[in-house]
Amino acid sequence: MTAPTLKIENLKLGFKNWAGVSNVLHGISLHIKKGERVALVGESGSGKSVTARIVLGMLQQLKTARISGSVEFEGINLETLKPASRHALRGTRMSMIFQDPTSSLNPVYTIFALFKEVLARAEPGITSERARQRAIEALADVAINEPERVLDSYSFQLSGGMNQRVMIAMALANNPALLLADEPGTALDVTVQAQTLKLMSELVEKHQTSVLFISHNLGVVREFADRVYVIYKGNIVEQGATAELFANPQHPYTRALLSAVPRITGGGIPDLDDDPGQFLAPLVAHPSYSEKERLA
Amino acid sequence: MSPLIRLLAKRLGTSVIVLIGVSLLIFAIARVIPGDPARIALGPNATTEAVAALRGKLHLDAPFLTQYGYFIADLFRGDLGLSLYTNRPVMADIAQFLPATLELVIVSGIMMVAIGLPLGILSARRRGSWVDHTVRLVTLLGVSAPAFVWAVVLMLCFSYFIKIFPIAGRISDTFSIPSVTGFLLVDTLLAGDIKAFGNAVWHVILPAFALALSGIGQAARLVRSNMVETYDKPYIEMAEAYGFPEKRIARRYALRPSLIPSLTIIGLDFAAMLGSAFLVEAVYAWPGLSRYGVAVILRKDLNAIVGTVLVISAVFLIVNLIVDLLVSILNPRIRLSQRAS
Ligand SMILES: Nc1ncnc2c1ncn2[C@@H]1O[C@H](COP(=O)(O)OP(=O)(O)O)[C@@H](O)[C@H]1O
Ligand SMILES: [Mg+2]
Repeated sequence: MTAPTLKIENLKLGFKNWAGVSNVLHGISLHIKKGERVALVGESGSGKSVTARIVLGMLQQLKTARISGSVEFEGINLETLKPASRHALRGTRMSMIFQDPTSSLNPVYTIFALFKEVLARAEPGITSERARQRAIEALADVAINEPERVLDSYSFQLSGGMNQRVMIAMALANNPALLLADEPGTALDVTVQAQTLKLMSELVEKHQTSVLFISHNLGVVREFADRVYVIYKGNIVEQGATAELFANPQHPYTRALLSAVPRITGGGIPDLDDDPGQFLAPLVAHPSYSEKERLA
Repeated sequence: MSPLIRLLAKRLGTSVIVLIGVSLLIFAIARVIPGDPARIALGPNATTEAVAALRGKLHLDAPFLTQYGYFIADLFRGDLGLSLYTNRPVMADIAQFLPATLELVIVSGIMMVAIGLPLGILSARRRGSWVDHTVRLVTLLGVSAPAFVWAVVLMLCFSYFIKIFPIAGRISDTFSIPSVTGFLLVDTLLAGDIKAFGNAVWHVILPAFALALSGIGQAARLVRSNMVETYDKPYIEMAEAYGFPEKRIARRYALRPSLIPSLTIIGLDFAAMLGSAFLVEAVYAWPGLSRYGVAVILRKDLNAIVGTVLVISAVFLIVNLIVDLLVSILNPRIRLSQRAS
């Protein structure tokens, strides 16, 4: 049995401030098997983005961050790596897609300049010719039919949807093992978001890329993810295979979430009246999932 | 036509219009300062006839627009008229004094960029650390006093108590350097006299630094705050998430977008040095255009006033032009919009 691509165990995070430490993650555990697409769903501020940032090692350098627990990537505990080796994983074995593609692409450099920089992460000293050729191939994968024009453009000259395709192409260009998609394309309009997600979905399937799909859109999660973790205030409250979790939510928070969402449109996370008494009830792990776990 | 050349042409056009406006304005203002220039030039003992003759020669009794017409006609022949104060063509005076001022201001400008920018970048990269706090405190000190105060303080400290820099002047009297460009730092090199060059550098350091201090502080603080703001942008998070090296993120991804808003202000600061230069020139007995300018205003030397103001305005406009060009080189948005228009 090969090691899971990502295995987070009892991850805790707090931020030190003048009043002491405010805890943001209270010991979350999750894992993603090779080629699996796992969603992390929760309302804004529940700790989704910080989880992704810890996986990339970006919060560790923050002096105020207090982190404990373990993060294993392809069977290696990342804490045991030297900072340089850990840094070397970014943009090569792990990559990330963001909420707003247009503002995630530096406005003073062409798409090609950025693309080359990304490619150089895996292939230092890559020549411009080779980078261009590889970028064109990568753009073809995301169904961009004028790659030359796109490469010579700046992000502000392209549409949001085009930038999102570029971002997806960049994220997958170095064939990473893990893709962290933090509310990808939430800033885009709904149809464009759906198109680009479909593209991303096909590509990760083709390359057997594992995905941590962060979202607060239950409709999108339902379509895209194999498995779902529901996070509430830094606690995973329910986990299970997508179909099962949606069909048979057990945890009070998940139930409240699902019953509040219009079934057909399946929009974003609704505004729930907070009810920590119930919502902080213990984790519910769906049995089928636990069985699979035992087999794994 | 390349977009940059188009931009240059456009800005040159507006610069000419601005210069015409400035010349009209200063031409009028110089004529409403109380006092008769001919009388001041000739002194209280001159005869009324002599004064009237000089007024006639200067067209002072002609209508305003006619006077302006004469002035423009002369200007196109490269003639700014005679200075009544020095009795020489105003052009010759400016050619003599302007290089000294420009030399001082340019050295200050170089100091401002060469010291201010790296300080600001360092501060932004280490934001929140003691390095950042120290830089911010020191630069605050720089901007907290005007140039002439620094000129006096630095002179007292480093020319008087600790005698490591000269008190006054551009170069020691022992050197005689043929004037080619009027810039001593250039002329000494043209003459192949390294010792004289070193001497000129030694003379310019203190006044230039005094003049530059607030600009250094301003540039450092500005670059820091713009860069810290840029560090919060999603495209920096993207660069970090993709593991681009920290140095490269600072130099390429954070600095360049931050320079765009900073440069315009740095350019204005640089141009403002032309103004502050006067008091620094006074403190260090620096034979520059500012001192000439005040002398001719006090004597109501019309041609010299108009000529000096025009030349200083032209320098202002050139600085602005250069800044605009730099900004549009750095900012593709402007470069590309130039193409579209
Ligand atoms: N650098 C930081 N310093 C202090 N608090 C932070 C920092 N980053 C995130 N937080 C806090 O952590 C919590 C979780 O943030 P985040 O993971 O961004 O939420 P989301 O689930 O919306 O992505 C929020 O309350 C946020 O204010
Ligand atoms: Mg988030």
